[in-house]
Amino acid sequence: MGVDAEVTGSELLQFIIAGLKNGSIYALVALGFTIVYASTKAINFAQGEFYMFGGMFAVFFLSGLGMPLALAALVSVITVTAVGLGFDRVAIRPRRDAGPLTLIIITIGGSMVFQSFARHAFGPDERPLPVFTAGPSIDFFGAAIERQTLWIWALTAVAVVALTILYTRTKLGRAMRACMENREAARLMGIDTNRVVTISFGLAAGLGALGGLVVTPLTQTAFNVGPSMGVKGFAAAILGGLGNPLAAVAGGITLGLLESLSIGFLSSTYKDVIALAVLLAVLVLRPEGLFSRASREKM
Amino acid sequence: MALALMLTLAMVGCQQGGEETTDLKPTEEPIKIGAVVSLTGPYAGLGGPEKNVIDMEVAKINAEGGINGRPIEVLIEDDGTDEKKAQAATAKLIDKEKVVALIGATGTGQTMAMRGDVDKAGIPQVSMAGGTVITQQFDKLVFQTPWSNTIVVPYTLKYLQGKGYKKVALIADDGGFGKDGIAVLKANLAKYGMTAVAEESFKPEDTDMTAQMTKIKNAKPDVIIMWTAGANSAVVLKNAEQLKIDIPIVGSHGNARMELVKGAGAAAEGFRFPAGKILLPDEYGTDSEEYKVAKSFVDEYTKKYGEAPSTFAGHAYDALYIIVDALKKLPADFTSAQLRDEIEKTKDFIGIGGTFNYSPTDHNGLKESDLVMYEVKGGKWVIAK
Repeated sequence: MGVDAEVTGSELLQFIIAGLKNGSIYALVALGFTIVYASTKAINFAQGEFYMFGGMFAVFFLSGLGMPLALAALVSVITVTAVGLGFDRVAIRPRRDAGPLTLIIITIGGSMVFQSFARHAFGPDERPLPVFTAGPSIDFFGAAIERQTLWIWALTAVAVVALTILYTRTKLGRAMRACMENREAARLMGIDTNRVVTISFGLAAGLGALGGLVVTPLTQTAFNVGPSMGVKGFAAAILGGLGNPLAAVAGGITLGLLESLSIGFLSSTYKDVIALAVLLAVLVLRPEGLFSRASREKM
Repeated sequence: MALALMLTLAMVGCQQGGEETTDLKPTEEPIKIGAVVSLTGPYAGLGGPEKNVIDMEVAKINAEGGINGRPIEVLIEDDGTDEKKAQAATAKLIDKEKVVALIGATGTGQTMAMRGDVDKAGIPQVSMAGGTVITQQFDKLVFQTPWSNTIVVPYTLKYLQGKGYKKVALIADDGGFGKDGIAVLKANLAKYGMTAVAEESFKPEDTDMTAQMTKIKNAKPDVIIMWTAGANSAVVLKNAEQLKIDIPIVGSHGNARMELVKGAGAAAEGFRFPAGKILLPDEYGTDSEEYKVAKSFVDEYTKKYGEAPSTFAGHAYDALYIIVDALKKLPADFTSAQLRDEIEKTKDFIGIGGTFNYSPTDHNGLKESDLVMYEVKGGKWVIAK
């Protein structure tokens, strides 16, 4: 079908809203990739599992332990952050100097362990979570915005602002940026790089969990949702430019918009083809990413 | 990475494969049946109940004396919802375990991937997957227990025609089940006086179909037909609600899962889907043989596993008993060819999916009359009007 249907203004708006919604989720996952990459130069393939854990633990704390939703959400993010910190201490730190390739393989192993754990602990079926604020969607110039989407945007914005403050205004943030530039030099300057890497994993896990948590009311979650979201987040991070948090967010939103506009103007069949084609084009023409200034200077 | 993951899970699965040693006398050696089931991967939610049923029923059959005095053993292999792994599991079950028949697979793609090895070995296979292709690409060794799309689609369209719907919008996943459904739907629409005004698809792992549903809304259909089986069904229903789409949505027999009702919540109200009578066995009439079979199955399963069986559990039950019933009619020194012939002679077998009548040209064995249209009301299934 596709091209024959006329697209009205409110529909275009609806496609953009859908794109921004999915893009924000991709952005949260992409941020996790970027933060870990910045401190280790490795891609954390367990990032998608943190996203899965975010939703899963929230469901567990809510339905399993009977916590109120807000508390279940908070405890879930804290738990997953702890999982991230623990993952670094147990699996990453002992092999930290072995180079990015070894670390990547460790994270793939971690992803399998996390997924198997979720499969056995929470079962194979999809699990629902209630929306944060009940009620019909909001009419916005003829397009509909679900209340949960507002939560997605708000929490993504808070995460980005908090991260920006952390990076620019705090000593820890400056240490993290120093590591991003040159880990050896940072170490020589007296920065505890081990601590920086541990904190990166904690942050990445927390952000991934936040993404999984806030999207689960719309999609439900299951033990196997991690890898496909990991791929999207990774694509978003590459599209924006690895190692730069704001670029990762821009990459996520670009990917979300690309997908939903492809569906709107072309066909749902080609959505992923188009997103991948753009990703490939970016890799060839601008390997540093669309929005990454920092790494372009380096090249 | 997903592939690497599946491979690893697959290897783990292999190691878990039953290597039980039996110290029975040769005459009491168990009859070995293989089963290829998706215990991990996207179809894990379907494969889990299938395994539960096989475990439960095998124990029961053996406790009641097995088959003509011989116990049966069903060796279950996990295919990780992966076609290559399904093929490898089949080869292993045939070559190493020397199984006499195969149950499986959970999915259509995996079922088709088993065919090469099944043909080579010449043993019968009874699939628990609903793809039309399984019995339409006819193989004299391959049988099927779920309602195939060629039965469900005409049943559904006839129902919709009765409601006076003319313009339909189609939305389906681009996996085996959705693609197959779309193909059968498009081939049959005209026959029931309907035309497709929109056709949208999504990937099984997608988490948002707002854009697709916006296009469907724009096409102003009388009814939306959704053909998918996974967690996405709930997302489609929720997206429709958020977009304030006031058009009835009708699903497929792949939606007969309580997870959908729980996952979509209020958005599932009024959603209709066709499925067998097992969801509400009273439909058979409480004094019928069908009712007794269905009721005792539901009760036993619920008692053992703490939840009502899904329709997929029923497909496993049917596959197992079709093989077991055929085995019971054979002499102790039967050949695989005899077993296949006996399965093909299955007549009036009252199973969970319906009443099966296989024939040399029909390896699905079910009819439209085995189906009913359900509607979600107050978070429950009721018979749709």
